[in-house]
Amino acid sequence: MSLMALREQLNGLVNSMFLEGLLDDQFEQLQMLQDESSPGFIAELITLFCGDSERILAELTKLLDQAVVDYQKVDAFVHQLKGSSSSVGAQHVKLACVQFRQFCEEHNKEGLKGIYFFRCLRALNVVKHEYYLLRGKFDTMLQLEQRIQAYESKQQI
Amino acid sequence: MSMEEVEEAREEGSHGSMFEGGVEVRVLVVDDSPVDRRVVEGLLKRSGAMFQVIAVDSGKRAMEVLGLTEGKEAEQPTVDDPKIDIILTDYCMPEMTGYDLLKAVKEQSSQKPIPVIIMSSENEPQRISRCRAIGAEDYLLKPLQTNDVLRLRDYVRPKALSPKTGTKRKIAIEMMAENSGSERRPCLAGLAVA
Repeated sequence: MSLMALREQLNGLVNSMFLEGLLDDQFEQLQMLQDESSPGFIAELITLFCGDSERILAELTKLLDQAVVDYQKVDAFVHQLKGSSSSVGAQHVKLACVQFRQFCEEHNKEGLKGIYFFRCLRALNVVKHEYYLLRGKFDTMLQLEQRIQAYESKQQI
Repeated sequence: MSMEEVEEAREEGSHGSMFEGGVEVRVLVVDDSPVDRRVVEGLLKRSGAMFQVIAVDSGKRAMEVLGLTEGKEAEQPTVDDPKIDIILTDYCMPEMTGYDLLKAVKEQSSQKPIPVIIMSSENEPQRISRCRAIGAEDYLLKPLQTNDVLRLRDYVRPKALSPKTGTKRKIAIEMMAENSGSERRPCLAGLAVA
């Protein structure tokens, strides 16, 4: 595939992510921070985000698997994930976290604890779904960037 | 100014041109989120060569960098030769919150304690009020953007910063902020809410 075709594919992917709402303005802001003095900024950020998110999702899964759920800890982790997804512009993940936090806050309602537990479980599954959907596209994005950079390096030799 | 001129000015900034006086502003960034630390670092560095960033992941580490330990003051004078010119700290952190760190910094007996800016994703009037009441210079909403970083210049002590006015570089930075395309929340500095 030619360099131009690779660049078109990458631009098409990123544009579709914006159109689908997977990414928001914040990601666009971050793209503007990448330049020749910091060429790997976006890749680095995506890698940090994915590593951190998977750590948090693992913790949340563990917490909701306990006989007695510590909703304060659950809320704290969801808050973290909401923050980092907001910072990278991962809009759908952020919104899923907002919904999840609402269920965490409501869990103590008398007589409805069971229902809210299942809502929290469902909310976690929604967050996971949104995250892994985004991660798949981020993986493709990074692969395309690497191929483009390899192409450009070859051309410079 | 054309986009080419903006790019030229940006290149000039990214190759390390200093403000007149050649002094960098040392910013201590405190945030337990590695993603947020990197974003803030990127914003600070991209805004020009004036910021030297030291990033730590906790209030405790921030205290170590500042030479503060619980119950003790800085061994080195903070006014004459500060290691850090400004602190940018997240509010919500485990063990030692940004509020705790703010309090510790402001409780120093130094006549001019280091400016502290709080960052938070929560737009809570009570929280803002609490922070300002004990001396926070500003409270910024996350995610931070270019305009927020530019405001940090206002809080740095005069001796550490001697900006050129009306330079292409200053215009370039502000053009980038204008071209960022997103509306910014109103500045919360000076807002005291009951």
